Amino acid sequence: MKIKTLLMALLCAMMLAACRGDKEAEKPKIAVVISTLNNPWFVVLAEAAAKNATDLGYEAKIFDSQNNPSTESDNFENLISSGFDAILFNPTDADGSIVNILKAKTAGIPVFCMDREVNSDDAATCQILSDNYSGCVDVGIEFVKALNEKGTYVEILGLVGDNNTWARSGGFHSVVDKFPGLKMVAQQTANFDRNKAMEVLETVMQANPDIDAVFCGNDAMALGAYQALLSAGKADKVKVFGFDGAGEVIEKIKEGKIVATGLQHPLVMAETAAKFADEFIKGRTVFPQRVPVEVNLINASNAAQF
Amino acid sequence: MNKNIKYGIGLVLLLFLAYNSVYFTDLDKMKSEDADAIDFNARATQLYAGIIAENTATDLNTLKAALSTLPDSAFANYGNRLGIGESAYFMVNVAGKVQSINDGEILLQTEAGESITVQTKFIFGNAIRDASGLVALTDYKTNADFNKLSEALNTIIREEKLPTAVQKISVGEVIKVEGALKLTKGQPLNTQLEILPVLIEK
Repeated sequence: MKIKTLLMALLCAMMLAACRGDKEAEKPKIAVVISTLNNPWFVVLAEAAAKNATDLGYEAKIFDSQNNPSTESDNFENLISSGFDAILFNPTDADGSIVNILKAKTAGIPVFCMDREVNSDDAATCQILSDNYSGCVDVGIEFVKALNEKGTYVEILGLVGDNNTWARSGGFHSVVDKFPGLKMVAQQTANFDRNKAMEVLETVMQANPDIDAVFCGNDAMALGAYQALLSAGKADKVKVFGFDGAGEVIEKIKEGKIVATGLQHPLVMAETAAKFADEFIKGRTVFPQRVPVEVNLINASNAAQF
Repeated sequence: MNKNIKYGIGLVLLLFLAYNSVYFTDLDKMKSEDADAIDFNARATQLYAGIIAENTATDLNTLKAALSTLPDSAFANYGNRLGIGESAYFMVNVAGKVQSINDGEILLQTEAGESITVQTKFIFGNAIRDASGLVALTDYKTNADFNKLSEALNTIIREEKLPTAVQKISVGEVIKVEGALKLTKGQPLNTQLEILPVLIEK
């Protein structure tokens, strides 16, 4: 009888030890939900966020929302049921993504927005955002100076449902609209897509062949616009401006083919979001709702530094 | 049922579904949709009055001395940076003799012989709002609203206050300027500094 009890106790102790071992082996998990991995800029953001989370001791998984709010919603359903501990989130839509954040919030999972703002100041735990407005004010001033305050231009916008699109456009127009010699002949969306921007500008130039400049809401579209101008034999005449600080655009600024861009800092946003998630998991409860990240103007005078 | 009626009902159903599946919004309408009806002009007028009344500006020589000895403390004590970044905005006072007034730029020479640009044309962005240190990001629900405050403030300064002040000064006169200065950590202080003025006085 004694031996039997002893064996039972030993068995229980072994089971308990095994359970503890399992728990120790299971790392807490952080999800990185990205609007699209079809754009190199967001790939950098996603991979940097995942790497920072991994470096902090978490298991990190990247979810691609393919610029589709319903895919994003599915991603949230999956990660909530899979027991993730925090979400580093790049939303697809300033309004449409709020419901997903609230689902996570209800499930007790903190959400840290990166780069794209949602139109709510009490849904996400914190939003770490590029200061798109100020960045495009600087691009706008550069634009006015480069065109000597006169000429016609085209604006190519990003996604209509994304606040960054309007923050960039708003910053640019807060400057340019004060100079009556500058006339916008067309404003169209190209969804932050290079090929779409090329097609849009080709079409716009059929009705407006003598434009002087193009302002694009991101660098992918600036490269598409430059391609359209090159094909039309107008690359030397029409000045192109972008936003992001993509390596390819910085090279074109050095070559004098693109005038200026605003350099965003995806690595800083990813690092801050992962750090905040880690702090939340470790007990921090109060976070600033919005943390703007500075954007730097890159033009011919400083492109060599980047 | 008649085949044509069947196809007709099917077509109407298809059109009904297609119509209700998408919606179109005019880009201009999208841009002009404001979340709240905040009177930004009134708030900016109040902020401008606050900037002048509070007089929080630091003498430029004092700031430069602080920056050359303890730059981090100087940024923390005199500067304002919202969020993350290497630069900050400072509200400064400077006096100097007008060297030239040209295309929205006043060139000043201080007593110490430094050349300072006073920018009166490109008064845009958040430099003055942030240098003032009188408003916080949390005072507004969205970044867009917070930026509109800057736009209204800049408009008052650029279009109402500065034209009158600039008309009264001429080359060779000594003037006092209070305004916003942007500095980046590690930036050499012997470069041509540019001030976005809130006040120009003789």
